[in-house]
Amino acid sequence: MNDSADLHTLTGAYALDALSPAEAAEFARHLAECPACSQEVRELRETATRLAFAVAQVPPPGLRDRVMWSLPEVRQLPPLVVEPVVVPLRGPRWRQRLPYLAAAACLAIAAGAGVWAVQAQRDADRARDGNIQAEQRASDLETLMAAPDATLRTGSMRGGGGATVVSSQRLGRTAFVYHDLPPLGTARVYQLWYSQNGSMIPAGLVTPGRTDGAQLLAGGPRGADAVGVTVEPSGGSPTPSGPPVMVVPIPS
Amino acid sequence: MHAVARDNGPVAPGPGSLETLLERVSRGDQQAFDSVYTAVAGSVLGLAHRVLRDPAQSEEVTQEVLIEVWRSAARFDAGRGSAMAWIMTLAHRRAVDRVRSAQASADREQRAAARDHSPAFDEVSEQVERRLEREQVRRCLGQLTELQRESVNLAYYRGYTYRETADVLGTALGTVKTRLRDGLIRLRDCLGVTS
Repeated sequence: MNDSADLHTLTGAYALDALSPAEAAEFARHLAECPACSQEVRELRETATRLAFAVAQVPPPGLRDRVMWSLPEVRQLPPLVVEPVVVPLRGPRWRQRLPYLAAAACLAIAAGAGVWAVQAQRDADRARDGNIQAEQRASDLETLMAAPDATLRTGSMRGGGGATVVSSQRLGRTAFVYHDLPPLGTARVYQLWYSQNGSMIPAGLVTPGRTDGAQLLAGGPRGADAVGVTVEPSGGSPTPSGPPVMVVPIPS
Repeated sequence: MHAVARDNGPVAPGPGSLETLLERVSRGDQQAFDSVYTAVAGSVLGLAHRVLRDPAQSEEVTQEVLIEVWRSAARFDAGRGSAMAWIMTLAHRRAVDRVRSAQASADREQRAAARDHSPAFDEVSEQVERRLEREQVRRCLGQLTELQRESVNLAYYRGYTYRETADVLGTALGTVKTRLRDGLIRLRDCLGVTS
């Protein structure tokens, strides 16, 4: 334990709070003298934080209020003037950022998701006015997102725009979350299809005129290997009239 | 939260960043705290639930952590790491402290059967992000060796010490120490975590 090379291997265990209090205190003292270790602990903590995002849950509705109500009774601490021994993580100032959307790959879906949220909110407003259908639809989307086996696959549309296909075999539901679709005018629509062994099964139309949004597909993903999008005459077609503008594979 | 993350990307703390919000919180700004809540409550709760298993205790810990954030926001030091890592470290420690107390471990197995709350209606988009995060983490966890993955899982998601981890896995202490470190390093590289 006193050997410094041996101590250095404790960065992982320390970042995961897997040391006993005595070991943690000893390692913290070591950190104060080892900039390389401090840097590594920072990075590994940052990594562990990502493990936490991966298990995030939606908090119950009352929790926010309970926390907010208790604030006026909690005295806030002044800034620390003297560094405490237990957290001696010194080092160069490092790049700040919000880590939870670090992956650039998330951009497309984040945009779609934002729209989804806006649309869902609109639907919610309508639902409050008595539109049960919208409420049901939003609830279906929400259930789909929460499904433990839900998968997301993202694709881009020929000619611009993109979409993410969310599907759950267990629920037998698929959603199409799209953004920036090129406008088609009034005579044509985007039509969704399940691709199954080379044949295309109609799965509904994207709401005409809408470029961003989310919708559930008609029918389930069972047996399907992809979701395809074609441009069809207004009202849709029983079979695709042209090659797909987008194909997003779905895991079977 | 999404707007902030999307607009800012990997740049210095902007007006809506968690770091900036914490600074406002340290001056008693409850509105800023409300935004902090939105950004972190789901992850804090999910982590606490993963470690503690018991929904009631998880909520208690979440509440404690958030109040701790309010209380000690002035002590957050951006030079030591991101605001998110600071908060999640508080959360993990608190959950682990609880799980390591004998009382909690007796209770949690009994109460583990309780079900999760169903998601609130306007949280759908957050779930998309969470799902993506989850998929990415799962993919990266899949790239670890079995021993690395099990060690990291037991230590982080169950709150085991590395001694307990070694015991459960029937592995030498030194091996578990090393696996926790090289497993996390591999995860860090796979997830593209920088600091």
